[in-house]
Amino acid sequence: MAKVLIAETSYLVRKGLVGLLEQTDGITELKAAGHPDTIMLTLKEFSPDILLLNSAITLPVSHEKLVSKLPDRARIIYIINTPLPEDSPSHQISVFDSKSKLSEKISFHLQKYRDETPEKEDTEELTPREKLILKHVALGLTNKEIAAKLFISTHTVISHRKNITRKLDIKTVSGLTVYAILNGIIRMEDIG
Amino acid sequence: MHISPTMKMSDLVQSNFELLAVLQRLKIPFGFKDKSVQTVCREEGIDLDFFLNLSRWYDERDFFPGETLMNHPVKWLVKYLRSTHSCYIEYHIPRIENEIVRMESMDQSGGKNMQLMLKFFREYITEFTTHIELEEEKIFPYILDLEENLNKEHPDPDFLKKARGYTIKDFLDEHSDIEEKLVDLRNILLKYLAPPSDNCVFTNILIEIFRLGNDLNDHTILEENVLIPQVVKLEEQFHKKFPQG
Repeated sequence: MAKVLIAETSYLVRKGLVGLLEQTDGITELKAAGHPDTIMLTLKEFSPDILLLNSAITLPVSHEKLVSKLPDRARIIYIINTPLPEDSPSHQISVFDSKSKLSEKISFHLQKYRDETPEKEDTEELTPREKLILKHVALGLTNKEIAAKLFISTHTVISHRKNITRKLDIKTVSGLTVYAILNGIIRMEDIG
Repeated sequence: MHISPTMKMSDLVQSNFELLAVLQRLKIPFGFKDKSVQTVCREEGIDLDFFLNLSRWYDERDFFPGETLMNHPVKWLVKYLRSTHSCYIEYHIPRIENEIVRMESMDQSGGKNMQLMLKFFREYITEFTTHIELEEEKIFPYILDLEENLNKEHPDPDFLKKARGYTIKDFLDEHSDIEEKLVDLRNILLKYLAPPSDNCVFTNILIEIFRLGNDLNDHTILEENVLIPQVVKLEEQFHKKFPQG
């Protein structure tokens, strides 16, 4: 299931796309923004899996920077303000496209996104290794200290932590500590 | 809804009660009778456009009027943000805290889960208060002084000295994310806490946290996308008007 952001200046086009996507399967959350600042802000907070971006919008970042702000498997579909030829690529939609053409292209990307998302991600259980990392995080150790303790690189610790945060939806250390106590990974007495 | 200057203020609130937040923060008293939006604004000394821009954004949520809001004196926005702060500190936060305390006293399970949530939330309050104090005591006074001195023939020497070595951009660096912890609390309550004995209180805590989270989000948007860019502009004008040396 994908999160979609529509970045489009035209009010009419934006509303139209929202209307269309609300009827489309496979979308968990839908957001729309028009102003470049709002778009950047929403990108940061929402991190969409699919970005519909009008090609005429000048964002304050380069294309590479934009891609780096999106999740790994994210896809960008460009909205073009002029008509497109019959055999236009699937990552371009035109404001002149028919409903069926738009649905076809957007569904294609939603399907691709689903296909590329490993199914195991649906289970949000922590692995034993992640639980161990979480335990040390909750006890207040830094990434560097955890790395030294478990004979792994700091980079590996960071990547485990990213996965833990993604699976649990908890970002802060104190939030993770609460989770660890609730789930018996550490005891309340263990923390100062 | 199209918000127009001639519509009745009471109709505006009736069609979208979320706008009560805007009225409250601009300190517009109730008892509108049949007065129009423009009449109420005039009587309360509030700029009509400022009111309309804010209300339209709160109502439509579609297009952020960043540029438009920037054209108003910065002191209005500061006043608005200050009212928002006191709303959080005096009302929202203590309310959530009290609800968690209530929840804890009702917890018959013998576990310490609610106690843990309370500890977590109190940590959050400390962080939140520090964040707000920084803005109230350091940032906002600086902004108000900047705007005032910019309009003077000769800036106040003390302020001039201060302005030379400071820029609002430094503040942006230390502008910590006060929403993160709240989102964590919400997710923990929603996903990981065992079912509580009283659903009504528990559900209410969640609703309040969602509300506060949304409101804080708006607050951050106003600060980072209107206030700070506007102050950056004022700083540029200030240094141009009063060049160094």
